[in-house]
Order: sequence, then C-alpha cells, then structure tokens
Amino acid sequence: MNCFKINDIYDYIEGSLSPEHQEELERHLSVCPRCRRAVEDRKLIAGAAFGLPPLAVPDDFTDRVMARIAPAKVKHPVWLIILASASSLLALTAMVMIASGRSALGVLSGASHSFWEYVKSAAVLTAKAATLLTLAGKTVRPLLEVAYKGLSVLTSFIHPGLQVLILILAMGLVVSLFFGMRKKFSVGD
Amino acid sequence: MNEEQDQVLVRRTLRGDKKAFEMIVRKYQRPLLNYVGRMVGERELALDFAQDVFVRAYASLRSFESQYKFSTWLFKIASNLVIDHWRKKKLPTFSLSAPLGQDGDCLTLDVPDDEPAVGQKFELAELRQRIETALEKLPGPLRELFVWRHVNELSYEEMAEIKGLPLGTIKNRVFQAKEMVRRLLQEMS
Repeated sequence: MNCFKINDIYDYIEGSLSPEHQEELERHLSVCPRCRRAVEDRKLIAGAAFGLPPLAVPDDFTDRVMARIAPAKVKHPVWLIILASASSLLALTAMVMIASGRSALGVLSGASHSFWEYVKSAAVLTAKAATLLTLAGKTVRPLLEVAYKGLSVLTSFIHPGLQVLILILAMGLVVSLFFGMRKKFSVGD
Repeated sequence: MNEEQDQVLVRRTLRGDKKAFEMIVRKYQRPLLNYVGRMVGERELALDFAQDVFVRAYASLRSFESQYKFSTWLFKIASNLVIDHWRKKKLPTFSLSAPLGQDGDCLTLDVPDDEPAVGQKFELAELRQRIETALEKLPGPLRELFVWRHVNELSYEEMAEIKGLPLGTIKNRVFQAKEMVRRLLQEMS
C-alpha cells in the first residue's frame, strides 16, 4: 500500500488534483486509516486557519494616512502654463500701474505707452518709498529714545498698575500717530 | 478584490483626485493590517507600517503598471517593508527559493506520519488561538505565505507574482508552512 505525499493531500483538500489522481487518492483513503486521519486533521486545521479573527482597524486610520500624503503632482498641459504665466504678468503690470497712481481709464488710454514709461513710474515709486522710510526713521528714533528715558524715570516711582495704564495709552498714541503719518504721506499726494 | 475598480481609482488618483486614493485606503486597510500585524507582532508598529505602505504606494503610484493587480503591488510594497524590518532587527530569515529541507528546521513533505491528529483535540476558538500562537513561532518567510493564503486568501499565482518566484516553489513553501504549524500545534497539545 503506497501512501500519498503530503503535497498530494493538500492538493486534494484544495481540490486541485486532476480527476484521475483524485480518484486514485480516494481509493487509497478508503483502505488507509493513516492517510484518512492525515486528510481529516489537515482539513480541520485549514478550516480553522481560514477563519482567524481580523485585527481591528482604528476609526481614524484613513484620516491619518491621508494627512501624511503629499498632494499628487498633476501634469498641466503647456497651454495652461503659458496662460497662467501671461495672467500673472498682466496682474503684476496692473498692480504697478495702479500703485503708480494711474486710473483704470488712464491705464486703458495709455495702453500705447512704451515699456520704458512703466519702468520710470516704478522707479519714481521706489524713490518715494525710500524717502518716506528715511523720514520715518529720523522722526521716530529720537521720539523712542525720549520715551524710553521717560519710562525709565517714571517706572522707578509709579505704581505698576498705573504703569500698565500709561503703557496702553502710549501704544494708542503710537498707533494713532502711525495712521496719521500714513495719511499725510500717502502715495499720490 | 475588484481589479477593474482599483484601476479606475488609481487613474483618478493620478489625475489629482485624493478622494479616490482615500477609497483605496479604506478598501485595503483591513487586509493590509491583518498581514502586517501578524508579521511584526506589535499593534502600534503594525499600524505605522500599514500607514507607511499606503504613503509609499501613493508616492510611487506612477510606477504602478496596470497589467498587474493593484492588490499584489500593494502587498509587494508591504512585504519589502516587512523584510527590511526583519533585517534591521536581525531576525532569522531564509530564501524561499532555497531547496526544501536544506535548512535543518524545515520540514520535508513526505508521506504522512503515524502521529495523532491535533485538529480534533481543541474547540474551534481554541484551535484558532493556538494557530495564532504557532504562527508567532513560524520563520518569517513561511509565516508570510501562511497569512497570505489563509488570512488574506491570496491565490498561489498572486503570491508567486509578489515574491517573483515560480508557482511550484510557492506552493511547496505554503504546504511546508502548513505542516510546520501542524507540528507546532502537536508540540503545544
């Protein structure tokens, strides 16, 4: 009596033996208790293994994965890139023109102006901004120095609660000054 | 696992639709965690690994070739991650393509022995619990195949594709893993 190999027994359990081979094995099983027991045992274990309990997935698992992934690189067509670049350039030009004090009508009527005119406008604007910054620096610095010295003297004999009140009032004054100055030196005046 | 649906979701993801990838994550998080969890043992580590698998898959989605099954591609990423982990931890491992029975701990698949059956000794729930314990003692490469076959219910063809090994080699190794589990169950009884 030739017993079958373990491979054949597993193939038999999984139903992957050829019909002839299966018939032959079943004939053998009817007369061999050892192989019969071997088949039954492996069937039981395989059946139990197919039903192993699944591991629990946390509710926020997907959210955690999605939070870690970077946005996909989407390939844009060339025409879209050109269009986006042209729009950006147009927007930038419009910003420079508006900042230089030109009205929308002026911008439209001045469409024939050369590129050099816009460069000149931008240069004037930059010069104005630099002057404004220098002036602000000259004005604010001595004020800050005086305020610092004054505060040093005051804090030595004023009650802390009163110090806080004075500080708030001083900050309000600085903010008002800032907005007042901005209005006075506003671009285009 | 519906392959056609996967291909559609992959194409949508590549077009920048993150919702489509979220659907992929929801679909595969459970099978992947069931596999990774049994490979690394610790739950928190398994959750991190499963997340890493999806993050890697998303990052290299453009390299996915649509003639292959998405699920096998995902399990391949997971398997590589697990193998890296075993190597870093210096856990015992061996090549599945080495001839059967070459390493002392591996079983040959000869005719059934006279040892008593173990499947009938336990109630189903206890048998499953003992199979889980036996799996922890199984060498990593065999455990991987056992889990793919019984927990993830992958076909031998899918496993062969993931491991890049001949179908016959994979089949023999799965049978060997089953025999080893059975022997461990005998030792536990």
